[in-house]
Amino acid sequence: MKGQEFVLVLFLVCAIAISLISFLIYKSTIKASSEDGAGIKNPLKKRLYFLLLWGGVLIIIMSVTIPKSPYFMYTEQTPTMVINVQAMQYAFIMTDETENPTFEIPAGKMVEFRVTSNDVTHGFAVYNPNNVLVTQTQAMPGYVNKLRWVFDEPGKYNILCTEFCGIGHATQTGSMRSDFIVK
Amino acid sequence: MNISLKRITSTWIITILLLFFTAIILGITMRFNQGKVISIDDGKFYGIMTTHGMTMIAIWAVAGMVGVHYLLSRYINVGAGLSKFAFIMTVIGVAMFYVTTFIGHFHAGWTFLYPLPFKNSFAWESWATPMFFWSLTVLGVGWLVWSVGLLVAIFKKYSFSQTFAWQHLTKKDPEVQTPPLVLISAISLVGIVLCLLTAVVILVLSFAEIYSDGKFVNDPLLMKNLIYFFGHTIANESLYLGLGIVYELMPEISGRPKFKTTWYVALGWNFTLLFVLTAYFHHLYMDFVQPLGLQMFGQFASYFASIPSAVVTIISIIVLLYGHRIKWTITNLLFFIGITGWIIGGVGALIDSTISNNIFLHNTLWVPAHFHTYNALGNVLLILGFFTWVANEFSGSQTDPMRKLKLALLIIGGFGFVLMFYCGGAESVPRRYSVYPAEFTRAALFASAAAWFAIIYLLGMSLIFVDIFKKCIRVYSSSHSDSSVA
Ligand code: HEM
Ligand SMILES: [Cu+2]
Repeated sequence: MKGQEFVLVLFLVCAIAISLISFLIYKSTIKASSEDGAGIKNPLKKRLYFLLLWGGVLIIIMSVTIPKSPYFMYTEQTPTMVINVQAMQYAFIMTDETENPTFEIPAGKMVEFRVTSNDVTHGFAVYNPNNVLVTQTQAMPGYVNKLRWVFDEPGKYNILCTEFCGIGHATQTGSMRSDFIVK
Repeated sequence: MNISLKRITSTWIITILLLFFTAIILGITMRFNQGKVISIDDGKFYGIMTTHGMTMIAIWAVAGMVGVHYLLSRYINVGAGLSKFAFIMTVIGVAMFYVTTFIGHFHAGWTFLYPLPFKNSFAWESWATPMFFWSLTVLGVGWLVWSVGLLVAIFKKYSFSQTFAWQHLTKKDPEVQTPPLVLISAISLVGIVLCLLTAVVILVLSFAEIYSDGKFVNDPLLMKNLIYFFGHTIANESLYLGLGIVYELMPEISGRPKFKTTWYVALGWNFTLLFVLTAYFHHLYMDFVQPLGLQMFGQFASYFASIPSAVVTIISIIVLLYGHRIKWTITNLLFFIGITGWIIGGVGALIDSTISNNIFLHNTLWVPAHFHTYNALGNVLLILGFFTWVANEFSGSQTDPMRKLKLALLIIGGFGFVLMFYCGGAESVPRRYSVYPAEFTRAALFASAAAWFAIIYLLGMSLIFVDIFKKCIRVYSSSHSDSSVA
């Protein structure tokens, strides 16, 4: 399952569970008899357990997900190809080391995009042939963000802008988009 | 209760709801355009987007302030003057802002990410950028005076350490008890003051660039940090103000004993301040040049921000309600549904604040999905709860017509509306696109469905609004005789 589908399912399951719990709490306030005294026994202890449980869950998720952050990816390797990306209102220009335009990227090899902008901040988002956003970084003027990635799936990849950059931000004719082929 | 505080509160409420109504119409317009049901040109679309975002952020921040100001007057001596001053500044600031977007065609987004406001002068009038920053200045001054004024009023009654409930950390039943409302308001106000001071820095740097004729240029990474510190903090503190109101009113309306500040409530809210001020780093995850330590801390702070405020609040509410017979009114139902919506939105936020997810969710529709959940179905409902309660207080009337219908419309419309954003996010559709590229085959469908859901939400909102309006205007005709305390 791709990341996007996983997070959507995860979110929906949580949302439904939370709604259900809310509904049960609501029900319990309707059913309760008028005299008080029911309620939750030992609230202090239960609160402590709940806090510890939640804290534990957070720590586990953090230790699993943090190592998967893009900053730690392929740091030990040298890229087989370096692509310079210059974003501008409203286009992306991709060139290789000899400043020739780049349209092809080798499949299964680690490549490095050096992404910058010559006007405002843009987003450099790579969409795979099935139109799924696979990776991205920001294109900020005055800075170069280095994005390392391995494209396993061959085909045509699209670049779209994921930072609002002005009137031509959305992809229409002649606006912020570009593409390359992975072979 | 001071009659002039009642009147200014009522004026705020009516103004906020009118602006809310307008901003929702703008939101529906955007969604219909993205759904290809209507067609407006891109410049207009982004003008509408900027107006919608800024209006919503502004009104829900001040709405929280209006609520805590009104309720704080139960504990501290605070008149209507601050609120009146802030009202005048807000009206002037918002009017100036509308001139920049509607007449000057300014459309850099409510986050006005540097250097976009300075680099697009051909798309909007050249006076619009400076006027935009001046409108922010007017708003900022009004709110800064207001929040500092409220803090000063709190400190006149409670010492510094009592305000932040530190005596509760060491003693079980200290002599001076800090009401949760005072603690939460103070924590939120400190955050608001800090973020408004940051706004001052942003404004000074921006004016320096504008008026030095290009001799002074800013650093984009620094500006991005400053802007998101400001934007993230103001949006989150608005929510905490809403929670402060719930802590104060929920027990009272539900016929249960008042909430007391205990050591974990005190500790939790003190930590909230730290986490909320540092969680903004998650807005810069995709800027790989940002120092690595800040990125790591961003995920840590975003995760742990959920413990103090959310977990402590959830348990307090469960203990308050579960198994007790509760008299439900529109007010405490709005609070209850609002807390639920806030938590659900929080789950969406936690998912996005995980760096390894952010790489494919950043600036997709997942982002408006989660923040609309905890706003339109969270904070807005908390504040509307306060409005319905205070409107009853103003009018002396406890009528509660069509309660089920109103809530059903809000829930069905609201959740349907945000669900379409989540689905868009899961299909990698980018946010802030006036029209979607053809390869996103279902994006337009999601958008027009969302617009119809939003119309349902708007209907429910309007019914609530009419009732609040009818009750609020009675405060202008009531005589001065009931102004017992000044
Ligand atoms: C049902 C009512 C609402 C509708 C129909 C609506 C609609 C929209 C739409 C279509 C967008 C643009 C999404 C995109 O393509 O990026 C948007 C953005 C936004 N909305 Fe709403 N919205 C509603 C309620 C709210 C509320 C209650 C808030 C409260 C804070 C809010 C705050 C914002 C903000 C801050 C943005 C970001 C603007 C930007 O990207 O510059 N909205 N809304
Ligand atoms: Cu762009």
